[in-house]
Amino acid sequence: MKLVKWQDGVWQYHLAQNEADILVGLLKKFPFTKIDPVKISKTDKHPKAREREKLLNESLAEHRKELKKLALDLIRPDKLKLEEKGLLMTLSVEERETMLQVLNDIRVGSWRALGEPADLHSNIPHSSPKDLAYRSLMDLAGYFECSLLEPGD
Amino acid sequence: MPTVLEPVTKPVVRKKPTSDDDLAPTFYVICWNDPVNLMVYVTHVFMKIFGWNKQKAEKHMLEVHEKGKSVLVREGAEKAEFYVHQLQNYKLQATMEPAE
Repeated sequence: MKLVKWQDGVWQYHLAQNEADILVGLLKKFPFTKIDPVKISKTDKHPKAREREKLLNESLAEHRKELKKLALDLIRPDKLKLEEKGLLMTLSVEERETMLQVLNDIRVGSWRALGEPADLHSNIPHSSPKDLAYRSLMDLAGYFECSLLEPGD
Repeated sequence: MPTVLEPVTKPVVRKKPTSDDDLAPTFYVICWNDPVNLMVYVTHVFMKIFGWNKQKAEKHMLEVHEKGKSVLVREGAEKAEFYVHQLQNYKLQATMEPAE
């Protein structure tokens, strides 16, 4: 996947057919992370911190719902247009952000499913087929995140 | 001979006005390290949320990576909360800690 054009808030990427198939497959997997409550503070013991934490978790759940709708929009057939050698994907700034968040959810979700290993570069001994699948998902999501980001920022 | 006393006016000493903001607690917004979020992704998120240039965003990203955390901003409760929500939406591990 390569950035071919970036102009007036519109990003265009060229993808090979197999890349497009994998990307669509990944996007369909959203949401991948489980809904686990998150902490808003490590040290704040004030009662207000509890209220803030509740609000944060409600807001994250709402954002997840919204992202689900937007993710479905990203895989509609007209997002990818056939070209001579592959496909052309056109994204607005907002769509690019949505795609990044969706892909990162899959990356983080796969990492959690693997038991949150500290070292991502070493081989996992005695990996089960399920672990290998999670590992692949994590790496593929990372590949597309890098492809979306590296040329433009 | 009668003396005419001039009126004495004492200067009014006014206290420096204090707004609620002066008294309100402030919070550090902190991003914590994890092995899964890519460096390029973290840099992008900092640029997007705080409007920082790449140099500043990378400095904080490297601090997270090398020191385990980075204090991103110091803000009042409402704004700190807003930033934590934004960072968590991107799946970064962010918290707000009382500054005092």
